[in-house]
Amino acid sequence: MTFAPALTTLILFLAIGIWIAAILDAVFYRRISGQGGVSVLSPFYAAAAHLSRQRLTTEAPDRLNWYLAIAGYLAIATIGLAVVPFGPETAVIGIKTSVVLWGACESLVVVLVFLHGWSPNSPLALIGAYRYVAIGLPIMLLSMFVLIAAALPARSLDLRDIVASQEGLWNIIRQPLGLPLFLLLGLSLTLRGPFDYADSADLAGGTSVEDSGANRAGWQVARLAMLVGFSAIAASTFLGGYLGPILPGIVWLAIKTLILMAVVIGLSHLLARMPVARMLGLIWKFLLPIAFVDLLLAGLVALA
Amino acid sequence: MAKLASQAPVPVFVAQGDDAPAETARLCLNSTLTIVETPRAAAILLVAGTIPASLIPNLHRLHDQLPHPRATVFWQAEPTDLLSEAVTVRNDDNLVSVLTDTRSSLLSGSHGTEADLLPDAPPNEWRGVGSHGQGGKGMMGGTPYGRPMAMTAADFRDGLELDAYTADFGPFLPMFPPGLVLTLTLQGDVIQKVSVVHLPFAGEGNAGAALLRLLGLPALAKRLLRGPSDDADFKRLIRLSGVRAAIPPGLGCAPNGSDVRERFERLTTDPGNPSKVHVDGVGLGDLLIGLEWHEAMLVLNSFDDESLRAICANTSSPELEEKNGDSMDHEGHAGHMS
Repeated sequence: MTFAPALTTLILFLAIGIWIAAILDAVFYRRISGQGGVSVLSPFYAAAAHLSRQRLTTEAPDRLNWYLAIAGYLAIATIGLAVVPFGPETAVIGIKTSVVLWGACESLVVVLVFLHGWSPNSPLALIGAYRYVAIGLPIMLLSMFVLIAAALPARSLDLRDIVASQEGLWNIIRQPLGLPLFLLLGLSLTLRGPFDYADSADLAGGTSVEDSGANRAGWQVARLAMLVGFSAIAASTFLGGYLGPILPGIVWLAIKTLILMAVVIGLSHLLARMPVARMLGLIWKFLLPIAFVDLLLAGLVALA
Repeated sequence: MAKLASQAPVPVFVAQGDDAPAETARLCLNSTLTIVETPRAAAILLVAGTIPASLIPNLHRLHDQLPHPRATVFWQAEPTDLLSEAVTVRNDDNLVSVLTDTRSSLLSGSHGTEADLLPDAPPNEWRGVGSHGQGGKGMMGGTPYGRPMAMTAADFRDGLELDAYTADFGPFLPMFPPGLVLTLTLQGDVIQKVSVVHLPFAGEGNAGAALLRLLGLPALAKRLLRGPSDDADFKRLIRLSGVRAAIPPGLGCAPNGSDVRERFERLTTDPGNPSKVHVDGVGLGDLLIGLEWHEAMLVLNSFDDESLRAICANTSSPELEEKNGDSMDHEGHAGHMS
């Protein structure tokens, strides 16, 4: 697949993914809360409702960084999806260090979410921003351990090689600790459920408390785009990406991405969020050592 | 665009007053409405119950934070002088149909948007220190644009000089019990000082649902509001959510020994019958100082209304401190979050 068809595939994959993610989110929410069904057009209605309202500003905001945070979050999600191979040797950004590029994207999410909370010049938004940074650092460390472990069997930092190395056995079997830990990163990158320390209810919406109109719509779309990008990365790293019998590779990738999106959304509605200090203790004392064990085991297997 | 937008649930921000209708908390169960957590996301400001005269300026500030096109609906309440043209809903009217009709009229343009009630200008005069009013001591503090800025003060946990920030919070914040206004001094998100400006309203309260929302479980909060406390499915979901592990043990310990964990279990298993906590002279300062924001919100929402009012009454108020010549304004007061 040449660049232009790959880019078209990426845009379609992202747009349809955002739409399905919004519906899945509403389905889980309404199912758990005991309400009725969801219209498949509801994401469009919600977007139109946001866009029909004025974009308000605050007193002395940092306007440039406010827009940059929203646009940057969406761009980072798109870049994440762009390193995912849709087929053998096919990725919009096909570089030998695509895992490193994704790692940089993860770190930039922390910066962009911080900017989103910093820019409105509002105390609740700023508290959300600082809290997210506090959680972001150890979660990024955890992610690096898990990703390096997944790269070891392929002996490459290229996501295309990592997918190809799972031809015989998926990484979820080879490294069973990896995917559960990586899903926690997904909850954090998409500001969801137990890891939503930026936009949570105790801060009346946190970094997005001052967003209205198009800004609010843009931030919600960017969050969903990040969910699609993250799920596609996780599907490629642990579930063999495009690998699968009979069906075309892109269909297998879409199915696996959809399953992981559903898992992340389900977890976000079903797991309780703990206060920041308690979560920091859990990550540093429990989750990071487990991630290190995951890396150690992968290293020993590679040496064997 | 307007046609598509009118198919979405009506985004409503609820400003709850005294004697608000009992149905207010259950409005979120109606699928044609979305009860939003910030006025920035709302098209309609719903004033439920009577807003006391002392809080009407807060209501007007809140009103101006809604984006255009916007409308205000008073439910079982008299409109304020500045909002005399607002829609009013009496006991017998169908509130939901009024809200949907008002939103449709706003989108079609047949109901004009409400203008700002307050001038769009800094509420205080410029009185900073320095040629541009940029500071007080060093590069911090002062009152640029009439806004006192955070100034360094020792953090009582480790003595580091961090930025203390003092502001009023409430009475319409969705994570606060309705009516409660606190003056809080924060270091980061840790509470250093607290005083009560306005007591929470007396009412039935829905502390169990409020706690579930604060714990990131809004869908389960809705389910609790439907009244399924004996629903086995609900109990299993609560257990599997890890709520017990999420709430730190000993958080918000009352004189009778009950902590947030224990009160949460009581509130979610028997929400209609919250047991009173013997407050025994305990004030909010005893409970909140030293806690980070999330923990403090969990503590605030874990009491039944009567106990919380008693705890607030035991807490120092700014008026009392002024009488005693112990005003906290020397650190600067940064504004108000309604």
